Amino acid sequence: MAATTAATDRTAQTAEMVHRLQGRHARRVNIAGKVIAIVGLFALWFVLSILVRPWVPTPEATAMAMYRLLGSAAFYGDLGLTLMRVLAAFVAATLVGSILGIAVGLSKRAEAFFQPLLAVGLAVPDPVYIIFAILAVGVGEGAGFVALTIALTPFVSNIVRSSVHARDATLDEMVKVYRIAPWRAFRDSLFPQLIPALVTAARFSFALSWKLVVVVEAIGQPDGIGAAIFQAFNLLRMREMLALAILFIVLMQVLERGVVAQIERRALSWRR
Amino acid sequence: MTPKGSSLMPDSAPFVLDIEDLSVSYGAAEQLAIERIDLSVAKGEFVAIVGPSGCGKSTMLNVLSGLMAPTRGRVDVDGAPLYGAGAKAPHLGYVFQSHRLLPWRTVRQNLELVLSASDVPPDRWDANIDRILDILHIPQFKDTWPMRLSGGQRQRVSIARALLVEPSYILMDEPLSTLDEVTARTMRQELTAIWQRTGSTIIFVTHSIREAVYLADRIIILTRGPASVVDDVRVPIARPRAYEDPQISEVEAGIVERVLDEWGLARTEAEAGA
Repeated sequence: MAATTAATDRTAQTAEMVHRLQGRHARRVNIAGKVIAIVGLFALWFVLSILVRPWVPTPEATAMAMYRLLGSAAFYGDLGLTLMRVLAAFVAATLVGSILGIAVGLSKRAEAFFQPLLAVGLAVPDPVYIIFAILAVGVGEGAGFVALTIALTPFVSNIVRSSVHARDATLDEMVKVYRIAPWRAFRDSLFPQLIPALVTAARFSFALSWKLVVVVEAIGQPDGIGAAIFQAFNLLRMREMLALAILFIVLMQVLERGVVAQIERRALSWRR
Repeated sequence: MTPKGSSLMPDSAPFVLDIEDLSVSYGAAEQLAIERIDLSVAKGEFVAIVGPSGCGKSTMLNVLSGLMAPTRGRVDVDGAPLYGAGAKAPHLGYVFQSHRLLPWRTVRQNLELVLSASDVPPDRWDANIDRILDILHIPQFKDTWPMRLSGGQRQRVSIARALLVEPSYILMDEPLSTLDEVTARTMRQELTAIWQRTGSTIIFVTHSIREAVYLADRIIILTRGPASVVDDVRVPIARPRAYEDPQISEVEAGIVERVLDEWGLARTEAEAGA
């Protein structure tokens, strides 16, 4: 009996050790992949900076430009404006797209009406929205906001609609049998099922928002990071242009990974 | 359930569930799933429904739970129609084959959800939840996520949820079929104890005749489909019962003999010889 127990313990220990080693190996592969990708990117950049001189600045010159920007008040002013625009477009598109996605997912009538419009909306290239919004609303804050909200909503709506369709129908039966009030059934049963899709939609919406905001600013705004990048391009200040782009990308990545990922972790804590 | 005019239940017994001329058909072709069933269930009865796979047992439960309106006939609960009752519809309990707990809500929150639809005032929710978890022997899991529980513990929570709303009757759709045999045996014993303690009316669907004989007062045997009642068998075995009791085997054998031809089952050589 004691021998059997000892053998079982040894088997369990071996299995745990194998599992730990496999985990460690996977982590190493992951880190190595990232390091190779970053080093490769820098190497490519360095080669291009030699071959396509002076249009591609060297990494050192770009780093110096970034350092100067970080000490400039104008950069923070532009950044603040761009962040406000990104936030407004992100919130509006996520909210409108989510509500529309839930409505279309739950109601056949809403689906019949909105789905063709959303399909068309998905097919229209984003710059078309920007140009039409400028023509309709004029150059100003409104044009960018309208263009971005209309451009992002179909994507968010589509993600959420698919999630509503894929919900667990047996839980719908459960709340019906127990006669749970509709708002409570939505809050406690349906909404939590949509959280992974809502987070994906938010992540997608955020990523597209900041990219499109930069385009909108470059085309039709006198200020913001996009306008600053466009101005640097017009003046052939390639170091500044690249430095602005890199700083902005890094900040957006930090926000995406920090804020959206935190919300996701908290909302799905029951899975751990 | 008692077929109308049956002598199994005294005439004065208060019927919780009264089904008259119930038929259900599906789809454009109106394929019949249930055909003209007349039955009644008395308060406090433990009734098992057995039938072969696909005979219409689940359809019947869907009708009795209010999920699916009958094509024809009437279902009365405590003397009032189940369909069209609106806000006055009776409270029912349902223990599904899978637990159907909300995984993102703790045990307590899952139970509070059904209490929110009951007449129990919120200041009594906690006491009611404690009481029911005590009955089910799982008070330690009150603030646990369902995915941290074993299959048997989840099904206990599911039973607690059904009992909590003080239902007119509880429907159970093969609730032990997904559990391992050891857990299922324990749960059968406990289910009997809970039923005796709470005096609930239970309608238990199973494909296991032995399980039906062990648990129920009466067994309703359905045809192969469309479902109609073949027989209504009273189980004449005193409680507490043992799962391996020869009396249970005897009643089971009698029912098997009765349904072999009806369900189109092949007889074993021994049965053929007998």
